[in-house]
Amino acid sequence: MPEPLLTLTRLTKRYGDTEAVRGIDLSIEQGEFVAIMGPSGCGKTTTLRMIAGLEVPSSGEIRLRNRLMNHVKPWERDTPLVWQSLALFPFLTVLKNVEFGLKMRGISAEERRKRAMHWLERLGIAEFSLRNVATLSGGQRQRVALARALVTEPEILLLDEPMSALDAHLVVRMQGELTRLHRELGITFFYVTHSQSEAFAMASRVVIMNHGRIEQAGSARDVYRSPANRFVAGFVGTNNILRGRIEAVADGRVSVSTPAGKLTAAVPAGRAVAVGDDIDYVVSADSIGIGGAAAENVVQATLVSEQFVGSVVTLFCEAVQGVEFRVQKPQRETVGLELTPGGPIRIGWNAASAYLLPA
Amino acid sequence: MNGGRLVTFLLWCYAAFVFAFIFAPIVVSFIVSFNSDRFPTLPLAEFTTRWYEDIWGDPTLWPALQRTVIVGMCVALISTLLGFGAAYTDYRYRFFGKNFYLALALLPPTIPVVILGLAMLVFLSQVGLFGQLHSVILSHVVLCTPFAMALVRLRLSQMDESLEAAAWNLGASEWRAMREIILPFTLPAILSALFITMAVSFDEFAIAFFVSGFAETLPVRILAMFQGQVSPRINAIGSIVFSVTMALVILAQVALIVRNPARARLAGADA
Amino acid sequence: MPASASASHDAAGAPGSGARAAARGRGPTLFGLTMGLPALVWQLVLFATPLVFMVLMTFWLVVNFRPTPDLSLANWSKLLSAGYFRDIYLRTFLYGMLAAGIASVMAFPCAYLLAFKARPNIRWLAVFLLITPFFTSYLVRTYTWKVILTGDGMVNAALGFVGLGPFSMVNNLFGTIVGYLTLVLPLVILLQLFSLAYVDRNLIEAAHNLRCGAVRTVFQVIVPAAKIGLVLAATFAFILSFGDYVSPTLLGGSKPPTMSILIVDVVKSGANWPEASVIAVVMSLTLLAVCFAALIFAYGKTGRRT
Repeated sequence: MPEPLLTLTRLTKRYGDTEAVRGIDLSIEQGEFVAIMGPSGCGKTTTLRMIAGLEVPSSGEIRLRNRLMNHVKPWERDTPLVWQSLALFPFLTVLKNVEFGLKMRGISAEERRKRAMHWLERLGIAEFSLRNVATLSGGQRQRVALARALVTEPEILLLDEPMSALDAHLVVRMQGELTRLHRELGITFFYVTHSQSEAFAMASRVVIMNHGRIEQAGSARDVYRSPANRFVAGFVGTNNILRGRIEAVADGRVSVSTPAGKLTAAVPAGRAVAVGDDIDYVVSADSIGIGGAAAENVVQATLVSEQFVGSVVTLFCEAVQGVEFRVQKPQRETVGLELTPGGPIRIGWNAASAYLLPA
Repeated sequence: MNGGRLVTFLLWCYAAFVFAFIFAPIVVSFIVSFNSDRFPTLPLAEFTTRWYEDIWGDPTLWPALQRTVIVGMCVALISTLLGFGAAYTDYRYRFFGKNFYLALALLPPTIPVVILGLAMLVFLSQVGLFGQLHSVILSHVVLCTPFAMALVRLRLSQMDESLEAAAWNLGASEWRAMREIILPFTLPAILSALFITMAVSFDEFAIAFFVSGFAETLPVRILAMFQGQVSPRINAIGSIVFSVTMALVILAQVALIVRNPARARLAGADA
Repeated sequence: MPASASASHDAAGAPGSGARAAARGRGPTLFGLTMGLPALVWQLVLFATPLVFMVLMTFWLVVNFRPTPDLSLANWSKLLSAGYFRDIYLRTFLYGMLAAGIASVMAFPCAYLLAFKARPNIRWLAVFLLITPFFTSYLVRTYTWKVILTGDGMVNAALGFVGLGPFSMVNNLFGTIVGYLTLVLPLVILLQLFSLAYVDRNLIEAAHNLRCGAVRTVFQVIVPAAKIGLVLAATFAFILSFGDYVSPTLLGGSKPPTMSILIVDVVKSGANWPEASVIAVVMSLTLLAVCFAALIFAYGKTGRRT
């Protein structure tokens, strides 16, 4: 197995009394597209800055190709960043912006121009090479930032929420371009974001952080379908989480008592559960069906409201004791059902769709 | 609301009066300098340039002007250098005693010049640096550095925070980033600082009066003229000095605006 | 002049993206010292030290016409017990207050107009015009006022045409105040203008909404909201006038003298630097006390509920 490109070992960053990053471990292979996700303040940006050398770790190690990087100055590393604010140099033309990294390495002027133009063409903005960056649109400026970072042909590219300033339709387009670039270049992308859709759309591996720790790291599908703990379950996708207690375990099914009544779930593989355990009962919103179809778990609820986002409808329902359920369906599947706010609604799901997490 | 419009009109008249009050001495000084009356009054006497010719021939004034210009240029250079460093330090670093550092750097203009002048006089005499051109330079730098620092600091606060780090990230050392990124970006403010500090030094008479001894600068000469022959020569000198400093201030404003059109809009668009 | 707010801000205390955070935890570098040290050294040696030295000198004595090191309170007791000194002190203090008050009142309608009724272009032009006087010779301006206001000068001549006057406008308090205003009015208008311009317009609209008349709005809503800036402007006016030498001399006739005139006199006649230093230190302490009081007043409780 080839050595990993980047390893973080027990990496910690303290500011006075607070720990922004608490001893995280991560190993990234060459060519991966890793997305680091989490709520504001979870430590993802601090981690990125430590990799770039803009912060010095309080303890732990950062190794790039097994070279200890902790105290290597930012300008001695080859970890170009695409900044959230893009940080394009306002008094330089597009071409000079892109050439900058090469200029710092002492590459000759003609060679610089050649390489910079190559990247500008590759990203489709060669016509703007002599323009001032302030005259470009948001999407064009993004590409300049990308070209500037890639021109030195690094092994790893760092991206700090680069799409946060883009219009929504541009974001989708840029996602496609980034994915294409990643595939063509074969280099490692380290992408920090708070947006689930970005992370899941592009990354081969997703890392969820919270309060300075890694909650879960795995493929997008794994994280989405098998959250490791309550935080991830609540943060990723739309899941219904109920606190409960195990009543019985039999026939591959676990019976749990929850505020919404007695519900069943599949026995979790690879983990032992016992009667009396406190657990979190999780069923994702898109696993729940509407109507009277036979299902192992049925809950009678009242429809509170509907929310339309694109082609997906989210139904907010309230069951006994005020327990809330969210059900997500493609819009066309709800046509024909007579759903009125305030009216009754029967929702149901199979035990196999639900799973248990340690409380 | 007719009452409202009347009030607004009256306010405009009042404002005009206030501005007239502020500019009266400047305008009158110009007029008087071209007026043949030694003690000007109304109605005005005839137009003449004799006061300008007078000062042109005055042997004490040329050396004084020369000294003032030399002092001005040295002060501009040194205080802009110091002010730039201080502004960057404030922008980038946090450290113990930073407030003390900032106070030291920014306080001088708040201290009455008479007090500063006396303190400099007393101190410079003790260390044998009194009564020379460099006495004035040393003292003026103390007074002018805060202006340079404020101008550069303001410009730095307009800079995208990530810009410097982006340069480091792309391989520029701190020194290189300073040269390639910070300096070009703050150039308008640096130019402005050079002009403004020179203008401040050019007009400064109180501290110069205390420390220059026989190496009198032009403002000190003007002060001396009040004791002896009071005449429109003073107005003539004043007009020249005014033109020079106005030119410097205009250049400073132009430097800031030409480089950064957004600032002109900023200056006009309040709240 | 807002300090740049950081864009992304890790809630765990990390101060935003960019360069500043990167400086921490590394200790002083050659680069940092090269940037920060020169100004520090210069100001320490040539600003702080002379001031400290001046304070020390208040305890020296003049022996054989030369100031000699000592630790005596003689200068202090001499001046503080002298009747004339107390007179001069109180007079200068009063002058400063007068100047600050008159300037604030004179400036306010102007600043109000520019902040609320003027178009941005006019406002920008006004700001430029107000900055101009700072860079003209204050000496020459004051001298010109003397020329204008003197007994047979321009103003009296004009008044004479309509059968008024002549009025004595120089070598008295009136002249001195005119001089002070020449010194501080532009600054006061500017400071008031900036603070009024930043008053939240929603406050004013709310007041009008609640049927508050225009004048009442001014005094009960706008002034309290801009209190800090208004107090700051008045304080600067006081500081400048309190320490000014030129106006009381040229336009006030030097008699009765102010503190600054006293310092110059003491220095010129016999170079009694220790005594002059005492006067300077008393002035500095007074200014510090006034600034302090002003700060407390400015940042104290705003407004009273009726």
